[in-house]
Amino acid sequence: MRIVLVGGGEVGYALSRALGQDYDVAVIDSSPEVAERFSSLDVDFLVGSGTDGALLQRAGIGRADFLIACTGFDEVNVVACAIARRFGSPRTVCLVSREDFLRPFGELEALRAHLGIDRVIWPEAQLAADIERIIEAPGAIDAESFAEGRVQLLEYRVGTESFLVKDSLAALHMPGGSLVVSYKRGEDFAIPRGSTRLEPGDKVIIMGTLPAMRDVQARVAADSGTPAGPERVTIVGGGDVGFRLAQRLELRPSIEVRVIERDARRGEFLAASLRRALVLHGDGTDLELLESEDIGRSDVFVSVIDNDERNLFASLLGRQLGVRRIITRVSKPGNLRLFERVGVDVALSVRGAAVAAIVHEIKGGRSDLLAVLEEGQAEVLEIAVPDHYPATTLRELGVPVESIVGAIRRAGDVIVPRGRDVIRAGDHLLVFTTAAAADRVRDFFLAPSD
Amino acid sequence: MRLVLIIHLTGVILRVFGVILLVPLAVALAHGEGWDAEGFAVAGAVAAGLGEIMRRAGAPGEHEMRRVESLAVVGATWLVVAAVGAIPYVWVGIGPVDALFESMSGFTTTGATTFADFTQYGRGIFFWRAFTQWLGGMGVIALFVAVLPRLAIAGRQLFFAETPGPTEEKLTPQVRRTAAVLWRLYLGLSLAEVAALTLVGMPLYDAVCNTMATLAAGGFSPHPGSIAGYGNPTAEWIIAGFMFLAGASFALQYRVLRGRPSALLRDDEFRAYVAVLVAFGGLAAWFLWRAGLGAPAAIRHGLFNVISIVTTTGFASMDFQNWGEQAKAVLLAAMFVGGCAGSAGGGPKVVRLLLVARFTLAELRRVLHPRALLPVKLNGRVVPEDVIRDVLAFVACYFAVFAICVLVVVSLGADLVTGITASIATLGNIGPGFNLVGPMSHYGQLHPVSRLVLTAAMWLGRLEVVTVLAIMRPEVWRMTHWRAGGSPGASRGAASP
Repeated sequence: MRIVLVGGGEVGYALSRALGQDYDVAVIDSSPEVAERFSSLDVDFLVGSGTDGALLQRAGIGRADFLIACTGFDEVNVVACAIARRFGSPRTVCLVSREDFLRPFGELEALRAHLGIDRVIWPEAQLAADIERIIEAPGAIDAESFAEGRVQLLEYRVGTESFLVKDSLAALHMPGGSLVVSYKRGEDFAIPRGSTRLEPGDKVIIMGTLPAMRDVQARVAADSGTPAGPERVTIVGGGDVGFRLAQRLELRPSIEVRVIERDARRGEFLAASLRRALVLHGDGTDLELLESEDIGRSDVFVSVIDNDERNLFASLLGRQLGVRRIITRVSKPGNLRLFERVGVDVALSVRGAAVAAIVHEIKGGRSDLLAVLEEGQAEVLEIAVPDHYPATTLRELGVPVESIVGAIRRAGDVIVPRGRDVIRAGDHLLVFTTAAAADRVRDFFLAPSD
Repeated sequence: MRLVLIIHLTGVILRVFGVILLVPLAVALAHGEGWDAEGFAVAGAVAAGLGEIMRRAGAPGEHEMRRVESLAVVGATWLVVAAVGAIPYVWVGIGPVDALFESMSGFTTTGATTFADFTQYGRGIFFWRAFTQWLGGMGVIALFVAVLPRLAIAGRQLFFAETPGPTEEKLTPQVRRTAAVLWRLYLGLSLAEVAALTLVGMPLYDAVCNTMATLAAGGFSPHPGSIAGYGNPTAEWIIAGFMFLAGASFALQYRVLRGRPSALLRDDEFRAYVAVLVAFGGLAAWFLWRAGLGAPAAIRHGLFNVISIVTTTGFASMDFQNWGEQAKAVLLAAMFVGGCAGSAGGGPKVVRLLLVARFTLAELRRVLHPRALLPVKLNGRVVPEDVIRDVLAFVACYFAVFAICVLVVVSLGADLVTGITASIATLGNIGPGFNLVGPMSHYGQLHPVSRLVLTAAMWLGRLEVVTVLAIMRPEVWRMTHWRAGGSPGASRGAASP
């Protein structure tokens, strides 16, 4: 499979790394200096404009399966997609970052078709949606949902007072319908067994049906003393992410939203466009402002400025003032760990969201891939049990140790299985697995070798 | 400001106004009231003659009309038209002060009367009273903009100078077509109300007069007992319904008729208007019911009279002078609201109060959050600050004029309640107040100077105060020339080599 990337920025680089080993990747960027960085990767690099038809042809657009337009300029991305369609028939993925650019696409499907764009990816909107999901689940540091929202996945950092550290997993009496599917201790990521005992500081992923996950949330909240649902959310930075997030949160009547924006004109735009949120003109790193606005009483503090240093500073001030949950945007992927180490509860990167979405789009040809988690270390797969498969209990089945069956979808029902539950032909399994073992897990279910 | 232009344009309008006097002339003749008809003929002749003289004495300006000039034309037109419109009253023996009061009360759709004995006057005169309201309801200028192509260019500015509400609404790109559309809607509503009222048994002549007074939010009924005098509950409901429409924005109604009923629910002002009517109406009804009125009657009278006051019509379905103090307090509060912008109603207008309320709330919120950006919004859009400033200036002027009127009227011998309600009822173009100026009483008992001051208050109120006060400023008069429109600097510049 051949993939042409237009744009060699952070997104282009991360994509090259993620895709370069498995596919033929050609990168086009107008800046020769960028080439240096790509020389260590197994990809072609062409210097020039992504809107240059001849160059696109040299990059092999005629036989390419994908064109990913990921420069920092929306206009260039759109035009690159349109031109690529003239010279070949790749599936085009277009990154945009401005709302006004995207809005017509939502309403005018025809315009998107006219421009030859198959998929629009708006990383800022995606990040806003991710943050909203995390805010919704108190105490969680990541959240996903599957099976039309009937299966939920939440990630927590285990506290010292948590019920999760009281005993081994088998003896814990997790709420019925929920399951601990993985834990991460330090840098080690593992699938737990019944005998595993969690420790404070572990990051744990729990999967389960929606009602069961509500119980889990309630117990986590009770242990850590956080309120059941967030009531006050403070957003520092009213850029694309902050604005989108405020817009989404405003729709929930129980949440009181505050946005702190440094630029006066942007602030006026926010105040004009947002319906309920309180827009404050000021610097999110200004302690006096944060104190006078009683930011310490917020339930969640979201810092989404486009600058890592100021984001971190604002977040630390938020922590200092006593905010329980801090969610911070990270621009440089290398800063992600540092942020979490110094006290940010959840660090998320816009580019990470974009890269994950694009990788999903490309690998999603394998439609069984539902989600990529833990910076690519874990995947959630949906596997249909073949017709000839004999009914087997989960215990007898002996799934690979790197994976765990999180849920079974059977004729509209969702079952979170235990060892004695039976798997039948026609079931759909939601399997949580390490990324390294994903192919083996697929083979195990689809081509049983007995 | 070029006087020559102002006189010319006022003359153009006045001349056509002469023609309009043929309508009451015909009505008077049809009822065999020859003497009254002569009055209309004289008034018509004066209007046409004076208009022609003014038209010739002045001259159309070579340069585009300036804002202050258009305000002056509107102010002058309303004064001259009211003066000429007083001639028929003088003709039937009414004193000049009362005649001017009655005429101004008509054109400004106030509905305050000086008539003590209704039996003295003929049907032509009562028709004329209602007809002046009907003309004034949509706006005298708006009528001429619609029918006079010659006004086309100046018309645009005149149209907005006459209805200077905070929201400038044009339904069509051409202001002339907008005026025509609005007049057509107005005419259509009028025909509908006449038909409805005759169907429930009101005589045609009364139906026509009451309709004209309803849709203009005027309040001049040919019956000395106002609407209460007919003793017809169904007619009261019909009139309440049309008063409600008269107090709502005609532009909005036009949109609804064009198949966009959702425009109503999304309009902040309309929602506030309905909320005010329901709240005040309900409160009044409750007080009336507690005072011993049956529930259906309490609801009907509560709603009717609250709608009548809020829309600034001034009809009465019972003599609310005799209501309990609590119910009267509700009506007094309602006098300070007014109809919607772009309606026939007067008063401060719902939208202005809404903006002032939102502005005040934002300022209160700012105390808690000094760094907050708190724009005032209307229908989801930010209201520019200069509009807010205009609104605040309006409210300040409005209450200043109100206070001066109260002072004058009370100083000249009226009691305080009479003074307060007479002032707000004329400034707000409502009509009846309490005590001496109650709905079944008349303004003739006030001191002549009070009556003149209140006549001016009606004029000020109809032109939304600031319009008139703006052209009265001394610096405007210092800048006023007979012909030369440009500033002195400009002419000097032209003369220099």
